[in-house]
Amino acid sequence: MSAAARPGRAVSGRGLGERLARGGRALWPIATRTLGAIGVLVVLATLVFLALRLLPGDPAALILGDQASLADRAALRARLGLDAPLWAQYLHYLRGLFTLDIGDSLTRPGVGAFAEVGRALGPTSELAGLAVGLGSVIGIGAALFSVAPWLRRGRKWVHRGILAVAATPLVAFAPLMTFVVAVHWRLVPLPGDPDSGFSGLLFASGLLSLPLAAQVARIARAALLDQQNAKFLDVAQAKGASSLRVWVVHALPPASAPIAVVIATQLGALLGGAVVLERLFERPGLGTLMLQAYAARDIPVLEASVIAAGFLFVAAQATAAALSAVIDPRGQA
Amino acid sequence: MNRESRRRRAALLAFLPAVLLALGTGLYALFSHSSPSRLTLELAWAGPSAGRPLGSGDAGVDLLPLACHATLRALALAASVSLFGFLVGTPLGGAAGLSRGRFERWTLRVCDLVQSFPTFLMALAVLSAVEVPSRLYIGLVFCVTSWASFARISVAQARTLADSQFVEAARALGARRARVVMAHVLPNLLGPVAVQLGTAAAGVVLGETALGFVGLGPPDGVSLGSLLEQGTLAMLRAPHVLAVGAVAVALASGTLQLASEGLRRLVHVA
Repeated sequence: MSAAARPGRAVSGRGLGERLARGGRALWPIATRTLGAIGVLVVLATLVFLALRLLPGDPAALILGDQASLADRAALRARLGLDAPLWAQYLHYLRGLFTLDIGDSLTRPGVGAFAEVGRALGPTSELAGLAVGLGSVIGIGAALFSVAPWLRRGRKWVHRGILAVAATPLVAFAPLMTFVVAVHWRLVPLPGDPDSGFSGLLFASGLLSLPLAAQVARIARAALLDQQNAKFLDVAQAKGASSLRVWVVHALPPASAPIAVVIATQLGALLGGAVVLERLFERPGLGTLMLQAYAARDIPVLEASVIAAGFLFVAAQATAAALSAVIDPRGQA
Repeated sequence: MNRESRRRRAALLAFLPAVLLALGTGLYALFSHSSPSRLTLELAWAGPSAGRPLGSGDAGVDLLPLACHATLRALALAASVSLFGFLVGTPLGGAAGLSRGRFERWTLRVCDLVQSFPTFLMALAVLSAVEVPSRLYIGLVFCVTSWASFARISVAQARTLADSQFVEAARALGARRARVVMAHVLPNLLGPVAVQLGTAAAGVVLGETALGFVGLGPPDGVSLGSLLEQGTLAMLRAPHVLAVGAVAVALASGTLQLASEGLRRLVHVA
């Protein structure tokens, strides 16, 4: 027994030293990812800046309408800083982004654009967080049921269900389900109703979580199938572990890196795609703020909200990549 | 009738729905005189009838021509954007995968950057700056990011092919580099990359729908997104509009996804 245990200990001892050495190497992909993410954000910020200033159309005219007098337009241009040379505007804008101060909202003077964004983030992150939580649990559960032997023939149907849900477009499916469940059957309040409270939030995030769950389940299923023939699973089984223990305790952890990536990516997509989701359920949040700013041509708020959404999207993706590098260092050469 | 040819026929059948949808809406748009934007105010939100089998929507617009024209335009946009991505991304990725070294690393890095870019937000920024958010701008924004997924697949595929034994054999037999690329690498590269066409096209349909849904669609209102928006807003008053919109979106993206699945099987079998 001791002969068998010694090499084991030796391996774990070397593993510790290696892990420390790897800590330095593991930081490298994280550093490059962070640089890449910052690069994407600067490109996005620059595009937003250029789009609103270089494309045909005077922002002041867009805001004030065609009937505004030239003097009014000139005054607004001066207030927005549009009369300065382009490079000076750009530097000012970049500095504003770093200090989170790119001026006040045009529709609500006195309120900073980023303060508006901060207020809108609350409802958005509630919806996205709950949806991603539900989606991960349902998705990993579905993936386990589609590979583990508990359902026998039912496994195939679980897999088909996953594929069918993954192929269903949410933009078409969500309003339809809202109509059937909230209007036709009246089981839940309309999620856009301000009085709907938690049940409205739960219904909206439940609907959102279905396509998320399907994506998570597809990836998790593939990762679990990769482990399926691993020898350590045979060993666990031979030691008398139940199939629940074999799949959840032994097969799931080594499959967790791609699962973590898909969950973080989906969280980013939800935060970045908040515009559509909040329009679907007519709920307040970052996306609604963006659309209001667009409709009112409130340039500072529009810039702030687009960049905040982009930041969340990119940050989630970078976190996903870093997570996978830390959880499973095998992928790196 | 052996197993493989039966499977190949099943794979070809998967293209049928997309072809039928494109043909059906195309023929309808060609031969029917009903306009997708003529308003008949007294028929606003009216349910389906003999004259208007799908009913009417906002301000009495006839939903059948609206749905047909919107689907056709969405399919056309999806086809052109994904073809652009294919034509730009495949040669770039293929060349990068064959040449290796710095060129390949930089191509992959740029792909990373482009693929982690929030396309939807960029579309929002560009479309909010132009006075009339036409379909051309929407297409341009999608084109900017569409090539990256094609390039990435071609890089991986070209790498594998360059290392494969039949390419090595061709080289050993004295074939010129151009001949190796044209006769051995390219034909084997195209299949797996083409699978991405359907996936990319379905993505474009959904992206265009999402933009139209939040009010950034083309100004004439003939888009799947605007149709779906009408239906969502009038959910309580006229549920048939929502049904028409949802079914049209699901058909357009679903048939494309099915075609891509068929393509995948075809490539793997052949």
